[in-house]
Amino acid sequence: MLAARLPRPGALGVDVGSAVNLVGAVLKYLGAAFLFPATIALGSDEPVWPFLVSAVITGGSGLALERGTRGQQVIGPREGFLVVALIWLALPVFGALPYVLADEPQLARPVDAYFEAMSGFTATGATVLTDIEAVDSSLLMWRQFTQWLGGMGIIVLAVAILPRLRIGGRQLLQTELAGPEVENLSATIRETARRLWVLYVALTLAAIAIFTLYGWTGADPAMNLFQASAHAFSTLAIGGFSTENESAAAFAGVTQWTMILFLVLAGINFLRLYLVLVRGRLRAVSRDDEFRLYLAFLVGGSVLLLLELLGGDLTGGGDAVRNAVFQAVSIMTTAGFATADYTQWSALAELTLLLLMFLGASAGSTGGSIKVIRHLLMFRIIRRELEQTVHQEIVVPVRFNRAVVDDRALRGIVAFIVLYIGLFALGGLGLVLDAKRGTLEVQSFEALGAAAACLGNVGPGFGFAGPFGSYAPFSDLSTGVLTGLMWLGRLEIIPVAVLLTRGYWRG
Amino acid sequence: MKIVVLGAGQVGATIVEALHDDHEATVIDLDAARLQALSYRYDVRTVRGNGATRRVLQDAGVEEAALMIACTSRDEINLVAGTLAKKLSAAQTIVRTSNPEYLEAWQERQIDVDFMVSSELETALAVSSTIGVPSAKQTDVFADGQVQIVEFDVPLDSSERPPTDAIREVVGLELKAASIPADSKVASIIRGDRVLVPRGDESIQPGDRIIIIGSPEAARAWGQIMARSKQVDDVVVYGAGATGLAIARVLLDQRIRVRLIEPSEERAREVAEELHGARVYCATGVDPDFIERERIGQADAAVFAMREDAKNLYAATLAKVHGVRFTIGITHEPISIEVFEHAGIDVAVNPRSLTAEEIVRFAHDPRVRQLSMLEGDRFEILDITVREESKLVRIPFKELPMTGSLIGAIVRDGTAIFPHGGDQLEPDDRAIIFTESRRVAEVEKAL
Repeated sequence: MLAARLPRPGALGVDVGSAVNLVGAVLKYLGAAFLFPATIALGSDEPVWPFLVSAVITGGSGLALERGTRGQQVIGPREGFLVVALIWLALPVFGALPYVLADEPQLARPVDAYFEAMSGFTATGATVLTDIEAVDSSLLMWRQFTQWLGGMGIIVLAVAILPRLRIGGRQLLQTELAGPEVENLSATIRETARRLWVLYVALTLAAIAIFTLYGWTGADPAMNLFQASAHAFSTLAIGGFSTENESAAAFAGVTQWTMILFLVLAGINFLRLYLVLVRGRLRAVSRDDEFRLYLAFLVGGSVLLLLELLGGDLTGGGDAVRNAVFQAVSIMTTAGFATADYTQWSALAELTLLLLMFLGASAGSTGGSIKVIRHLLMFRIIRRELEQTVHQEIVVPVRFNRAVVDDRALRGIVAFIVLYIGLFALGGLGLVLDAKRGTLEVQSFEALGAAAACLGNVGPGFGFAGPFGSYAPFSDLSTGVLTGLMWLGRLEIIPVAVLLTRGYWRG
Repeated sequence: MKIVVLGAGQVGATIVEALHDDHEATVIDLDAARLQALSYRYDVRTVRGNGATRRVLQDAGVEEAALMIACTSRDEINLVAGTLAKKLSAAQTIVRTSNPEYLEAWQERQIDVDFMVSSELETALAVSSTIGVPSAKQTDVFADGQVQIVEFDVPLDSSERPPTDAIREVVGLELKAASIPADSKVASIIRGDRVLVPRGDESIQPGDRIIIIGSPEAARAWGQIMARSKQVDDVVVYGAGATGLAIARVLLDQRIRVRLIEPSEERAREVAEELHGARVYCATGVDPDFIERERIGQADAAVFAMREDAKNLYAATLAKVHGVRFTIGITHEPISIEVFEHAGIDVAVNPRSLTAEEIVRFAHDPRVRQLSMLEGDRFEILDITVREESKLVRIPFKELPMTGSLIGAIVRDGTAIFPHGGDQLEPDDRAIIFTESRRVAEVEKAL
């Protein structure tokens, strides 16, 4: 038995069978998720069969993959990367089924459907729809629901539920969870995953309740239970999908302020938020370096944007404050909702928003992009570098929340940021080059904006891909590139990049 | 009384030297040659073996001993031996350790021995009082550094050095009117041949020698008042071993800027991670380029705490050459003190002899935790635990009779209190008392 597991020289060093087996086991359960939009379809007299067929195909494929491979009960750390990468490629394949099956004209082509599904699961919020309100409400709810499932993470959910992931789940979870591995997660891995999801569900329910209340009391006439659920899903997931063409602008000011609040909450490290909300330990965030910088970034971004709005005389008074804060929070936390078409704002305001896209939310949150903790540690790495330039022999440990961060983790952060910026640049370049082949006119700012918005899982970009616009004009190739960027951004590049090294596959 | 000493190294030998005349000492060690050397010099019994075993301890007669001192260089051996002795006999046990965490555990009563001494901490406290109060003539530390006794020569006025404002607010005024730093008392004024235990209407005059008892902050404040040179606030420590680390910690606590120089990369990293606020350099410290680049010469003081005396001497001399004004050398060989001082190192400190002194103090009378002699034989500082039946208990200080003794500080539950007129003694308090030598017996009886 042991001898059989030892790889022969030159043999594949990765147990692909086991990895596929686990992917199958997770997909198997995804089939059940289609039942939710199916009930919506039933209630609103829309075709139910696309969801049921999708459910059967998904569940069946999962089962077939699981049966067709002989998997080890416990997967190794190497296979973990492959599992995560594969799951996140496969999810949108099955998630796109209802779009194609329901014969929705805007999503009929598989490239577009896959883009939309990837944008959903990665909680990006970029869309190829040009008229959202024309789409069936059950499909719209599925769009919102995919964001919610992917926001906290399918694998985190699987670790919380599947007993077989009790061992080996830690690495899977670390790979999917946002942010670098700087702090060790306490408690058992199942407990950690459970806490994350319990808090996530509780916050979502709270948001649904509050939004619905606004509808009932007439504080926001546009709000009802359907809209409340749909927007609670995409808000807590920091996704950005909306059921309205006008995104958050379709709702009243009080709803928009509430969305800001929930976005800010969802952008906090959930493990810390759990300690604050459930255990009442306020210190978990008040003493957290990342949380403090996160707030400072949010406030700074909002103020900067407000000054630009007031200076450019674009909007005035209370609207200016709300618009500035909403856009800053929405873009920085990587949600992508909008209360105003910021593509009409000044170039300075647009540039500010583009830069905010690179900040991101906290590690362990549902937000994307580079994330505050990496900026914080990068700053400290640079400060150490400068210090050592002058004092060559000085030894300066880099600390986070007083604990010393080891050099490997720091190198990982530098590598991540370099890869991130590199992918952003390459992505932008690719979009411009691709546009040159066709008739579509893409400004370099728009191309870079689209790349940043997809890689950072923000959603809307600039120009025609702005908050009230659509990614539809992009060619199929460009759409593919952007889909890839969303995938890479959600998995934070490194786990995917690892698969491209020869050492990964060798025995 | 019978005393068992575990460890015949430098510390053990110094202890035996101090105690063998009045007491019956048995020394345990693994090294036969050391034991032989010791038994030729002093009248002691020796037992060869591992002192952390019951059999050897019993052979050494620990069951009849009144005191057992475990002072090998190995912490864990000392701890096991001390704990065993505590169970095997009624002896008081003293354990030497180099680990501050063991010391902390002992202070919180989680390690059951009677007294614990850390060479590193003793050394660090000695260095810090020398550095922290640069113009003090002699300093002593009580209650784990919470109480200091320092001696100053009050500078004479001269035309080149007019008195500073700070001095003018203290010297020449009646004590009750002078701005004396908080948490401190003037224990004694020595003027020529006369020695005064001052009352409020007395005043300090230029040329007096004064003895202050108070908190480390107060001692620092007195140092600032009396200082003839700039206050020390930038210290370089060579060597980040256990001693160097302890020194750095104590100095950082006093808000002194510390730079640590350590040649081993691994150790430098470890120390940098452990210490907040110190700047750690991975360097030998004897490279002239380094000294120049890092402006080592501008440091107010440098402490040399590397493992080898010769290296310390070399580095200290080099630092002097580059302009460091005040150098303190840590020595490991007894003879090095003379060598260092001959070579112009300002102060030489031997951790082992400090440790031995500390242990001997305890051995003399366990109730008198520390006993220090100032001004030859004229004064003593007593550290006495107040008994329940003492007649001075629960009487406000202002009503206590004036007897030529002064209660400088009380240590209650591990915290130092600097008493005012309304405070009173409680049973089990440790009182730090400044008294004339002839009154020692009287004071001990009263408490």
